[in-house]
Amino acid sequence: MSRIFGQMIRLENIGLQFGHKRIFDGLTALIPDGAKVAVKGESGSGKSSLLRILLGFEPAATGKVYYDDMLLTPATVGRIRSRTAYVPQDLGFTVFRSTRELFYTPFRFKNNRRLMPEPDKVDELFQQFGLPADILERGIKAISGGQKQRLLLAQAVLLGKPVLLLDEPSSALDEANRIKITEYILHLPVTVIAATHDDYWLRQARTIIDLDKLTQTAQL
Amino acid sequence: MKGAIDIGWWKLLAGYLLLLIPIVFFRIYRTGLVRPTLTAVGRMTVQLLLVGLYLEYIFRWDNPWLNGLWVLVMTVVSSYTVIRRTGLRLRLFLWAVLGATMISIVLIDFYFLGFVIGLKNIWTARYFIPVTGMLLGNSLKNVIIALDAFYHRIDEEETSYRWQLANGAEHNEALLPFMQQALRKAFNPLIATTAVMGLISLPGMMTGQILGGSNPMTAVKYQILILLVIFSSTILNVWLTIRFSRRVAFDGMLNLRKDIFERAKS
Repeated sequence: MSRIFGQMIRLENIGLQFGHKRIFDGLTALIPDGAKVAVKGESGSGKSSLLRILLGFEPAATGKVYYDDMLLTPATVGRIRSRTAYVPQDLGFTVFRSTRELFYTPFRFKNNRRLMPEPDKVDELFQQFGLPADILERGIKAISGGQKQRLLLAQAVLLGKPVLLLDEPSSALDEANRIKITEYILHLPVTVIAATHDDYWLRQARTIIDLDKLTQTAQL
Repeated sequence: MKGAIDIGWWKLLAGYLLLLIPIVFFRIYRTGLVRPTLTAVGRMTVQLLLVGLYLEYIFRWDNPWLNGLWVLVMTVVSSYTVIRRTGLRLRLFLWAVLGATMISIVLIDFYFLGFVIGLKNIWTARYFIPVTGMLLGNSLKNVIIALDAFYHRIDEEETSYRWQLANGAEHNEALLPFMQQALRKAFNPLIATTAVMGLISLPGMMTGQILGGSNPMTAVKYQILILLVIFSSTILNVWLTIRFSRRVAFDGMLNLRKDIFERAKS
């Protein structure tokens, strides 16, 4: 499905700065369609920030982000965000009143209406991700952090966007689920960029952006 | 129609003796509330006496332009107060609140005074000023609650807000849950007071009208209408304020600007 959109992501000399503190500099990368990229680095190295820069939520100190040849700007950000799915690290989501609301909210956006999944597909994926069948009927405060994370990952997968941006996608998962879900996501035909320090992710992802060294260890 | 008994200045002073009761209690329990109470009562006295003085003249002259100007002053002062209490930056929000308040007041005043009450001249001081004053007082309280809840919740729940945008939401869609919360928070108290109106409290305006010599049923009808008017002007005001303020509160990438809050948040 990514072929239809053709989402090559190009980072050009991205630098990040907090106040006067330089976090990283000179990140240039070409992420082809369908690539599986892991962003690693110590905490505070700017992993989550890099994902936010890619989504236009945080300004980079220097550099440019392109999706295909479309430069990320206020004029294009809406179009770009309509082609991404994002799972953040912080899973508060207290603004939603029920688990069902949390799960179905993105499918009700105008941009995503045609992406509403068949109930069978939802059940099937929930099962694969180790989610109880009645999870959507449970209160949002009654589900665990791991369940919430799996729910959001399942949702991101079901949205089927050409670019998946995941912030610490396995931080709240137990061993068995971690491997199963990582495997599943890495075999999707879409571009996946994950900020992570999870060994399994780092071993399996074909490309690593190491913000500590800022050298790419694999051929893109 | 017979007005209420006027209160002599000495009698008013006798009324102030009632203040001794809270003061004694505040003293005994060392609450530190004596001074704030005295300051507050002092301010109230000066402000209300000034208003009384103004209003006497404004009512005597009853000039539409002057009445309009008076309401304009009330609107500016109350808009200013609204923003100060939300912890949002005055400079950025004043125009939004002011514009929204003016529009909602004019629309509702025209309908209520011009059509429902059927005044030939809606600028008549005796109706225009107190009704607009009640609208302002009541709707602005709710605008404060809504505006505060809206922007602070987006700030606290920035992850949810961004998560929606990053998954394809348009701006309105990403703001929807915050709008829902803000409206619920602002309207729940109003709905609750409305539901028990007359049971556990006699509303101030109705009491005033009865004291002023109106027939109780007339007072009741006015009270009912004023509540309906407050409901509709409040929702208009809240919606317009949020609508107008969005233009300054978000940047081009739809991120909530951090400098909209009075004290910089981390």
